[in-house]
Amino acid sequence: MWDAFITLMINILLYIYNLVGKDFGLAIILFTILVRVIMYPLTAKQVESSKAMQDMQESKEWKEIQKKFKDDKEKLAQKQMEYYKEKGISPFGSCLPLLLQFPIIIGLYQAIIRALAVTPIQLINLSNHISDGANLIPINSQFLWMELSEPERLQIFGYGVPILAILVVITSYIQTKMVSTGTTPGDSGGQGAQMSQAMSLYMPFFMGYLALTFASGLALYFIASNLTTIAQYLLLGQGDLKNILPSRS
Amino acid sequence: MKKHYFLIFALILLTITASGCTGRRVTTAGWPGITVDQDVAYLASGPHIYAVNLDNGTLKWRFPAEAQRGMDFYAPPAVLDDQQLIAAGYDDTLYSINPANGKENWSFTGPKDRLISQPLVTETAIYFTSADHNLYAVDHQGNELWAPFETEEPIWAAPVWSESCECVFVTSMDHRVYAVDPDRGTEIWRTEDLGGPIVSKPAISDDGILYVSTFANEVLAINVDTRAVKWRFTTDDWSWASPIIDGDQVYASDLAGNFYAIDRQSGEQLWVVKPAGRIVSAPLVGEDMIYFGTDDGALITITPDGTIQRNQQISGKLYTSPVGGEDLILIAPTEHDELLLAYDQNGTKVWNFSPSDD
Repeated sequence: MWDAFITLMINILLYIYNLVGKDFGLAIILFTILVRVIMYPLTAKQVESSKAMQDMQESKEWKEIQKKFKDDKEKLAQKQMEYYKEKGISPFGSCLPLLLQFPIIIGLYQAIIRALAVTPIQLINLSNHISDGANLIPINSQFLWMELSEPERLQIFGYGVPILAILVVITSYIQTKMVSTGTTPGDSGGQGAQMSQAMSLYMPFFMGYLALTFASGLALYFIASNLTTIAQYLLLGQGDLKNILPSRS
Repeated sequence: MKKHYFLIFALILLTITASGCTGRRVTTAGWPGITVDQDVAYLASGPHIYAVNLDNGTLKWRFPAEAQRGMDFYAPPAVLDDQQLIAAGYDDTLYSINPANGKENWSFTGPKDRLISQPLVTETAIYFTSADHNLYAVDHQGNELWAPFETEEPIWAAPVWSESCECVFVTSMDHRVYAVDPDRGTEIWRTEDLGGPIVSKPAISDDGILYVSTFANEVLAINVDTRAVKWRFTTDDWSWASPIIDGDQVYASDLAGNFYAIDRQSGEQLWVVKPAGRIVSAPLVGEDMIYFGTDDGALITITPDGTIQRNQQISGKLYTSPVGGEDLILIAPTEHDELLLAYDQNGTKVWNFSPSDD
């Protein structure tokens, strides 16, 4: 099942690759945007649920409930569920679309890595996934100054500068900040908010590390994915760019 | 702060997991290569070239003594003489090793990409190819003889010497076969576009016919004098392995798992066998038996008329061609605990070699 899904993803990617004149970098960008656009309803649903949750956290009514039952956790939880029901909020509304996106994102990532077959073993494995396409082999893995199957460095005055990794850190930071503007369900700036804050701090560096170390095709995918997500958030009116700058508190 | 530690730990775990499936240069990039010279088998397998005694499968030496980051070997080494064993590395470097003790004589670092195939050694030169699209030539001391001969796409196949035209043939993923002047590195001629990438070396018959396998699901016979395609034989899938000439027939295979015998003159199919699994490597043609491996881990033994004599399960994937040496059949499976296995003609295992035997 998973293998069939990967096969489908690889064939779409290679179809785009052929369509754009055998430019694998461009194919990665277009394919990532395409997948993100297809997943737009899920993203919109997730943003909508997050917004509802955020509104709830800021509502006077909910704050009063919290205050009233601050010493009775069990009762607070019960009231919380009643509040959800009354307002039509789904507590998992923001998590479920995110979970559904994961296999697609992982499939996209695997398709990119598997299609970049630059060694015999990789090509043998790729041949398992493509019924025809001999004329697409070898995949042209050069894009701008990058060799997409290798970690990227742009030589500037004799120094190898990891441009893509830097862009990945910046775009990941912006994206994470935009996503984490809402608060976690059942949380009022406590552990969940701390976790969210920590995520927005560590995640960009983690992504940057992956971009620095692994094939630059992966870094290109990260950047395309981050930028598309940022655009989608802005389109949904969720993108308050003021949130991107670190707050003084 | 505990939450932060948890998050950092989770990210490290994610990194380790992700590193298992990225396109970075990894040690499983190729399959092992075997060369036999007298009573020693030279095995190129990952971080080392191993010299293994054929009589008992014990290690004679390994090069380098300690694994070095980025240094991997998969191409069968070439024996130049009793002073030099030539090994092509995935670190873009050609090495000359002393076969007596496994010490490095010299190295050549001109190429810009992996050296995937076996070097060709002649009395005066060493020819080798690189995935950087080029054919290189160095003398026996590792000095470059001429500027690299460039094709349009990567070269994964070994160069082949032709006595009749006194030239070097090289096949490229740009769908062509090139005849190259061995003294100057200039093109003598090239074929037309043959329809698909070529990743294995051609076979040359005494009467001047080249046999080539392509990813366009074909095996072609090409007249060297006229460069005309004499016949085309259609396979069911990509034909990866080199064709092998055996008398009046040519053996070829495809990734669908077919092993074909083709009439050398007419290009007609004589017979075909199809055991389970895909066939990537060329067969070993013995005196009265033919041996080939499949990626299902089976070593298949057939007679020259296409009757399967034995289907022996080795396990792992048999991407490497079986090699004969001192009445033994040597097998280097991929994804297997042992690096090298030796069988006698009856299919009985004689010895096995793995790094733990060091």
